[in-house]
Amino acid sequence: HSDMRAVGKWTWLTLKLHLLRHNVLSFVSSRTGSDFTRRQYDVIVVGGGHAGTEAAAAAARLGAETLLITQKIMTIGALSCNPSLGGVGKGQLVREVDALDGLCGRAGDAAGVHFSILNRSKGPAVWGPRAQLDRERYRQFIQSELLSTPRLTVLEGSVDELLVSQPNPEEPGHHRVTGIRLVDGSHPILSSSVVLTTGTFLSGSLFMGQTTSPGGRMGDAQSCAGLSYTLKETLGLRVGRLRTGTPPRIVKESVDLSLAQLQAPDKQPTPFSFLNTHTRCKPEEQLPCYLTHTTPGVERVVRESVHLNCHIQQDAKGPRYCPSIESRVLRFPGRRHQVWLEPEGLTSDLLYPQGLSMTMPPELQLRLLREIPALHRAEIRTPGYGVQYDFVCPTQLTPSLQVKSTQGLFLAGQINGTTGYEEAAAQGLWAGVNAGRTALSLPPMALSRTQSYIGVLIDDLVGRGVTEPYRMFTSRAEFRTYLRPDNADLRLTPRGFEEVGCVTLRRYKKAVSVRDGLQEALMALQSVALSSTRWREKLVCSLTLLYHVSFSLSGLDLLQYKDVSFEMLASAFPECLSQYFEYSQRLKIEAVYRPHCEKQSREMERIRSEESLSLPSDMDYLSLPVSLSQEVREILDRVRPNTVSLSKTTTNHISTVYAILVKCYKYLQIMCLIDKLGYFLCQ
Amino acid sequence: TDAYLYSQSSVCDAETIFALSSGHGRCGVAVVRVSGPASSMVLRNMAGLTQALPPPRTALLRRITDPKSKELLDRGLVLWFKGPHSFTGEDSAEFHIHGGPAVITAVLQALGSLEGVRPAEAGEFTRRAFHAGKLGLTEVEGLGDLIHAETEAQRRQALRQMDGELGRLYQDWSYRLKRCLAHVEAFIDFSEDELIEDGVLNQVDSSVRQLETEIERHLKDERRGERLRTGVQVVIAGATNAGKSSLLNTHRVPPSRGTTRRPLVEREGVRRARQRVEQADLTLVVVDSTQLPPDPQLVAAFLQQHLSTVLPSPEAGMTAASDKVLLVLNKSDLVPEEQRERTEGELRERPGLPPACFLSCSTSTGLEDFLTVLQSRVKTLCGDPLSGAPSLTQARHRAHLQQSVQALNQYHQYRDQDLALAAEGVRLALTHLGRITGRVGAEEILDIIFRDFCIGK
Repeated sequence: HSDMRAVGKWTWLTLKLHLLRHNVLSFVSSRTGSDFTRRQYDVIVVGGGHAGTEAAAAAARLGAETLLITQKIMTIGALSCNPSLGGVGKGQLVREVDALDGLCGRAGDAAGVHFSILNRSKGPAVWGPRAQLDRERYRQFIQSELLSTPRLTVLEGSVDELLVSQPNPEEPGHHRVTGIRLVDGSHPILSSSVVLTTGTFLSGSLFMGQTTSPGGRMGDAQSCAGLSYTLKETLGLRVGRLRTGTPPRIVKESVDLSLAQLQAPDKQPTPFSFLNTHTRCKPEEQLPCYLTHTTPGVERVVRESVHLNCHIQQDAKGPRYCPSIESRVLRFPGRRHQVWLEPEGLTSDLLYPQGLSMTMPPELQLRLLREIPALHRAEIRTPGYGVQYDFVCPTQLTPSLQVKSTQGLFLAGQINGTTGYEEAAAQGLWAGVNAGRTALSLPPMALSRTQSYIGVLIDDLVGRGVTEPYRMFTSRAEFRTYLRPDNADLRLTPRGFEEVGCVTLRRYKKAVSVRDGLQEALMALQSVALSSTRWREKLVCSLTLLYHVSFSLSGLDLLQYKDVSFEMLASAFPECLSQYFEYSQRLKIEAVYRPHCEKQSREMERIRSEESLSLPSDMDYLSLPVSLSQEVREILDRVRPNTVSLSKTTTNHISTVYAILVKCYKYLQIMCLIDKLGYFLCQ
Repeated sequence: TDAYLYSQSSVCDAETIFALSSGHGRCGVAVVRVSGPASSMVLRNMAGLTQALPPPRTALLRRITDPKSKELLDRGLVLWFKGPHSFTGEDSAEFHIHGGPAVITAVLQALGSLEGVRPAEAGEFTRRAFHAGKLGLTEVEGLGDLIHAETEAQRRQALRQMDGELGRLYQDWSYRLKRCLAHVEAFIDFSEDELIEDGVLNQVDSSVRQLETEIERHLKDERRGERLRTGVQVVIAGATNAGKSSLLNTHRVPPSRGTTRRPLVEREGVRRARQRVEQADLTLVVVDSTQLPPDPQLVAAFLQQHLSTVLPSPEAGMTAASDKVLLVLNKSDLVPEEQRERTEGELRERPGLPPACFLSCSTSTGLEDFLTVLQSRVKTLCGDPLSGAPSLTQARHRAHLQQSVQALNQYHQYRDQDLALAAEGVRLALTHLGRITGRVGAEEILDIIFRDFCIGK
């Protein structure tokens, strides 16, 4: 009975799939259930945003008993800022999260109301799948997915303290996480791993005009004071401060859309998920976006309100690529800036003005909006505001997103200094995977830069750290021509099933059949070879390039040409090619890119081999008994090249290997230096 | 067993590399090493072996010719090592040729002209050997030092090259190429949401074309620009009136070929002077003996202090104890004989201090001894393959520039078909140029993007 009292204020949820699958999500407190007495989980995830939901779902898929704790169950899966998903670089992340069986791709397909592939004219490697979302549908999808996930329990509550104890002496680290304590709970909840995805709530403050209040999102309780303390004081983690902001939401009826430029979606929506052939929203049901521009009046209002605007006078760094209208106008004066008016959902009466994030007092926000012709009668439903929050310098993490000093503690999302739903989801998934693996006594895993944007994201974070909110761009990926949105399933799904364990059998089978189908089709294409004269006859079209070629060409060679489509070749050789029609677009892309990817394969192999040759995270470089200059030591001490594979897979078995590793350090350090820092020394 | 460390995931490098593995100074025989799958092709082409290769590990006297022009370059010994029985574990070949700089340069350039063959990066032979599991524990322990030394030598060499007109030329290309890439990347990553002017790509088109033309012209016209500085670089450093110019003007500095005489270091240019010292293979620190403390016991500390003001900070890899420094105590004729002798005794074999020579530029006393020490130092440096063979550097530059131009072709080829592949061409070009001027990271490109464009959605 004391247990009952202790949990009285919490809402326990252990609702399994069949109960609520098709119900409206009414989160009933199930105090009479038998599970609420549970005090021990494999994994606890704190936070129900994009990182937290992916983390919880991934850990549960892996087989770990998982508890997701969030302040408000109703805001699980809420889109706090823009009502959209994907884009250039970000779309790649969504495809990859989906390939690893994460949620956001399918949620996007269920909630999208406007689909388009950005960069359509620039080459398939940089295509950016993107969708405008219906907020309500997105939230519903995520919530019902979580509720139908076996081994996953959702709890409403606020975490007050992270519990830590002595580290496991066989692993590096100064502490080991043992669970959490809730604000109102006297009983701790124990677990082997904890994933923190606190978003902007870590010492968050909200800014509007000259007023400041504690919190991470308007309308939600502040939190994480105790957690902040544990991270900074108990664990001694270095934190920094970043800022971001969100625009006012505008009443749709009050906008004169005839003065804005209509932006239609793609005629045929392309789903994010490899599992989906079509989106929930029918092509003709899609909603348009509108484009409009700022005027000199906007700039005037910004200038007049600077003294009333605390947020922009602060030092914390905001993103250069997603600045508030204030910083844009102040940095690039005298220009017209784009403003996108985006739908918030099928039934929503609001518009989201992308590009107008602002923190001035509400009455001035209204004045600013009305300086834009299409918005001259605009009404604001909720004003824009700024947020400043703490992040943990991510160089203190391993590539598995575990805090180096604290065994079992994982961080994902904005707490690591990133911005964006997709970046958060990607980290969440990977942190969840590793939290699950740790709890199940499996070694942690890393994703290579050569294999995925998720790998690039994590490697950039833990290897270099951040100075401003980190967002994904395709220019960050060295192997961009390989890390394409079209092949994310081939790159990640088989490994996700065979090695990682976060992919379900159904998806795995599908990916394998696609892989085999593509392989067969490529071989069939290679098997049809003709002289260029014969090809010209067969294809009945003028292929000017072919006139210069004297040797015979395979179908695969031919497919590399700009004007040749798979359909053309299939009509020339229907008997051996027509069965592969479903892959026609992917085959075309493979044919064009494969030769380039092969050229890069050596460089990829080199990076991969050096990623696997990494170093323990708690190395004392400053006193390592080898001949290294002080400068080199300091660089290594700062950069702390990471360890995963080598030390983890070998030390457990043979202690002598460890001795050898020590001998290797010197070599490895120099290698790291040459490759990562050598050129730094040259400059 | 623990004998071999890392053989399970050996990296298969398909590229064939070469390097001069003996010293580049005046020496009887120079050894050029080749490693990689094309080694047998190299051997056939360069040594005129139309039929079978020689038996492995057997020296064979051959005419060594330029594979393109068929010009005779030298007569020398060639050796063939069939992988895995070689230092790197790969197919390898060695050319033992005459040690003159002209012969070496010619052979290295001929090698560089072969398809799929390129000059080795610092530490590359050793690295390949390591990956092939060819190094035992003890060798690995020394490996770090070796690779570090090679990198250090190449770094000095690179710094030196970057200092002159040629360096400025490369830096200019690099800067322009970076902007081209930034603008293409901006167009890829931001043009869907942002106001990136349509003209951006057209500008890149013409800039890329211009760069191609300039690099190609440079490659064709070898006389253009400054020749690479060659030989061992000696810097004379010291305070005003210590006797630097006098030392230089004795004209007795070893006339061995390849020694660059570079006077200098007055107070005003301290930063530049330190930079010179950092780039030098050998530094002569000239001290006015009359300024030494009269008590010989205090001299060592005084000199230590003095060195720390003249030499770059120890972090830069240069310490007073390093064998790259000689102390010259000038104006010894103005110091009492007895004091000089006692000081000399005090300084002999002093740990932490470089060797010190008393001499007088005006009376030439002690000059012979000094020259003997200097000559032996220069000899060691010349015989050290690490001091950076300029001809190899030159070959490396050519190879990277050529690859850079080739990569830029890809930009035009794909410009209208696939911008991602076109951008890949610019990225690749910058990577190759970066091997000369320093690597360019994604962050640097993003910085240019955010500087040049108003991004913000």
